[in-house]
Amino acid sequence: MVWLMGGALILNVVMIVALVALIGVRGLDAFWPRPLDLVTLETGEQFLGMPVREETYDAPIDRRRELEAQIAAGEISKDALDDDGRPVRRLYRTGNRDLGQEPFRWVTLAQLQAAERPKDAVFVERMEWGVFLGVPEALVVENQDADADITEGADAAWAAIETHLPDAIDRRERIRKLQRSKIGPINGEMSHLRERLTQAQIEMARTTVSRGLSKPLWFGVIVLAVVLMILPPALWRHRQAESRAAESPLRTLILRGCTLLAIGLALVAWLERPRPAPLTTQALETLKAEIDQEQADLDLSYQEFTADIADIRDLDNQFRVVIRAPGLDRIAPERQTTPDTPLRLSQIVRIFKPNTLSTRQKIGIYLDRWREFLTDDPREANTEGGIFPVIFGTVLLTILLSIIVVPLGVLAALYLREYAKQGFVTSVLRIAVNNLAGVPSIVYGVFGLGFFCYTLGGYIDAGPSQATQLPLFRWWFLVAAGMAVVIIATAFGLLGVRKPGQPDNTRTKALRNLAAFTWITAFALLAGLLVTTPYFHGFFEARLPDPTFGKRGLLWASLTLALLTLPVVIVSTEEAIAAVQPSLREGSYGCGASKWQTIRRVVLPGAAPGILTGMILAMARGAGEVAPLMLVGALKWAPELPISTSAPFLHLDRSFMHMGFHIYDLGFQSPDSEAARPLVWASTLLLLAVILLLNLVAITLRAHVRKKMGTSHF
Amino acid sequence: MTTMTLPDEHDKPKPAEAHQLSIIESIQQGLDITPEVHPTLAESDHILQIDRFNLWYGHNQAIHDISMGFPRGKVTALIGPSGCGKSTLLRSVNRLNDLIDSVRIEGHMLLNSESLYDPSVDVIDLRKRMGMVFQRPNPFPMSIFENVIYPLRIDGERKKSILSDACQRALEGAAIWDEVKDRLHDSALGLSGGQQQRICIARAIVAEPDVLLLDEPCSALDPLATIRIEELIHEISDRYTVLIVTHNMQQASRVSDYTAFLYLGRLVEYGRTDDIFQRPHLSETEDYISGRFG
Repeated sequence: MVWLMGGALILNVVMIVALVALIGVRGLDAFWPRPLDLVTLETGEQFLGMPVREETYDAPIDRRRELEAQIAAGEISKDALDDDGRPVRRLYRTGNRDLGQEPFRWVTLAQLQAAERPKDAVFVERMEWGVFLGVPEALVVENQDADADITEGADAAWAAIETHLPDAIDRRERIRKLQRSKIGPINGEMSHLRERLTQAQIEMARTTVSRGLSKPLWFGVIVLAVVLMILPPALWRHRQAESRAAESPLRTLILRGCTLLAIGLALVAWLERPRPAPLTTQALETLKAEIDQEQADLDLSYQEFTADIADIRDLDNQFRVVIRAPGLDRIAPERQTTPDTPLRLSQIVRIFKPNTLSTRQKIGIYLDRWREFLTDDPREANTEGGIFPVIFGTVLLTILLSIIVVPLGVLAALYLREYAKQGFVTSVLRIAVNNLAGVPSIVYGVFGLGFFCYTLGGYIDAGPSQATQLPLFRWWFLVAAGMAVVIIATAFGLLGVRKPGQPDNTRTKALRNLAAFTWITAFALLAGLLVTTPYFHGFFEARLPDPTFGKRGLLWASLTLALLTLPVVIVSTEEAIAAVQPSLREGSYGCGASKWQTIRRVVLPGAAPGILTGMILAMARGAGEVAPLMLVGALKWAPELPISTSAPFLHLDRSFMHMGFHIYDLGFQSPDSEAARPLVWASTLLLLAVILLLNLVAITLRAHVRKKMGTSHF
Repeated sequence: MTTMTLPDEHDKPKPAEAHQLSIIESIQQGLDITPEVHPTLAESDHILQIDRFNLWYGHNQAIHDISMGFPRGKVTALIGPSGCGKSTLLRSVNRLNDLIDSVRIEGHMLLNSESLYDPSVDVIDLRKRMGMVFQRPNPFPMSIFENVIYPLRIDGERKKSILSDACQRALEGAAIWDEVKDRLHDSALGLSGGQQQRICIARAIVAEPDVLLLDEPCSALDPLATIRIEELIHEISDRYTVLIVTHNMQQASRVSDYTAFLYLGRLVEYGRTDDIFQRPHLSETEDYISGRFG
């Protein structure tokens, strides 16, 4: 038996180690530069290609015989068949997609006449249309007066490319920076201006909302609220200072009632504040003129920047490079539609001669490709460039999700373990929570989309729909009813308190159940009030019908994932809380601490390492989740980071990119899956690294907490 | 006397008829007895007065009709075999038994002639006036300093100077200041058991309580640490009223001024420690003290 168990363990370990090793090797290998072959086929066709891999394939027996005969005759190399006599083929990366060539090509070794390694062949990574393989012929620098300064010949052109390329790349970056940091904000400002105007027009058109109380009445409401807030507590406190007695239920009830009334009056005062009369048509005209003026200013600076960009582009157009693809005998074009205009130098991301590279240069290219991968935006349907927005989105999502899930889970666990009476209901709740962990994640995704994105997001955008809004009078009647229900619930709760030294009897039990029921009613009423309020019209009314929060976005994705990982946190927190020794609690109560003080100062610190364990598990689960994200926020292409320098800095409404989804997208949805293959490995490696890093941070935090507490549980 | 809830209630003989049974036998049969309270207690000034106190855990009665007073500024020891209700009685004094849902009480407890179980009493405030030390040292998972000033912290005291003064005073009072003064901000869990218990005593006295409740404070400690704690109880006894529950006869005779002998939830004999240990009125008390039963 022990062998069986040991064997199972070893099997598990071997599988995990093999998986990680495979990902590690393939991922690290992805960016290593390989040599280029000039392939000549038996048909005489020639092309440049980068060998990717070789494999054997099944062929009919007579084809094999034929090949064997050819080998025996010395017509083809004996590599064409492997040791088992099966034919071998080789995959070449050929690029040059814009010339109509297949970017990858299988060649059987039998077809292969010759494969040389020409020294001049270059591997060009371009901004568009992927890789180009060819031989540089010339670098053309046009002068101001339209005659060109041409450097011809492979070696000379290569030298010229190497001197001019850094400047060209710098120009490209300058254009990008101008577009990002100048033009982008101007566009943002413009839409803000439009929104201001729309908002003003909407408010003008609105007729249903009251214009507020009259000034004296409003002032009276405020004074009453303040008096209710300050006076009774002060009076009671004064009385209480004389005796050390606890408050009687009636006093508590009156105190809480007064506070609640004060809050209600404050609500009245705020919602029914005296408002200025709506905008007159004339005022609207002034506003329009103002906005037009600002818009004109923006237009001016916009034109300034576009002129700057145009200048740089003009300079850019003067540098062109002629790279010819042998075999096809065509040059790398600027655009697919203009096959005779040579490539602009600034269209090149990286160019190198794979067949003459020294090991040091190879390492240089390898590291530079990793830098690009980690820090740049993706290009070409994500199959090229970097994945910085993807890493950023993943990390931010994971952090947000733990910020949301930990407090939520800890509060729920505290209630379940410390406040709720252990019994049938808590057992059912516990089982339900545990089962939630087993619900397929796509179900959470559907829920998130339906509830968070559309319902909640729609509410934030536009407020309650017109159909559900109640008339003012009825709505305020409901508010009063809600307050009354809260007071009744409080009264039930206070009456249901046990007398000291007396166990529960049916009366107190019934009263407490009634209190719970009444509280639930109160919360239902509150939800109803929110859904029917005639005062709220949404925070982003002016942007409608374009949704702001009413669509997939970062906030909803992190909320969905928080919901998904909630059971993990609740369960581990509950265990941690239960593991805090009862003697510590007694000690705290013995010192005169209240329940909340005991929880805050003794139970929570004691349970902190366990809570952090829950957080680590939640993060690990949340960061690797993909299915719900496809529904609630992750996009294939969203280079705009959810953090920016313009208010509100953290854009929770934006969509984002996520590594898990990115891997799926690269591997299975991209138009050129062969080209994306190395990136899939690299991204997978990176995803593992990111999750590992996040976990390490959390584990370090836990170790720190443990050391501070001097405990060694968990 | 309270009526008993035992099944053999109907054939229960009247206490007067029970003279042929020994007191221990009477108690074992669930009969009421008249506790032997020495007259020396009559004239003392009692800080805490227990008046016909009964306590039930669910349907089990743990304390039967105990009436006794605890003299102000003295050390009173509660002795008796396991399960005799000593700890329960102690925990009833600061209402720690409230935390158990099934507890029901009858009778009164008066601290400075104010009832402890009146619904208007703030139990939090009450516990703040009584320091308690438990069987096993239970320092909180925080620094020594934070442990000691915990009662002040939860009272909302924030002034650094007041807190550190109080901490030093309490640690000096618990005779551990010299040992820990250089590592006040280390975790209290790194100390030895005896040191931890003295930290707990410092925590119990830091808020200057009216009464100090010690629930077998030495039962989890080695003999040397026990001696240190006993010396400490002796030192602080002139400042506080101390109630100590103990299993250890010698300890009771060494540290206390008064001793009460309890058996199966009933008070049997209560008097000055010298009297109880040298001239007990009841032979049962003598038997218990000399280890012949219990």
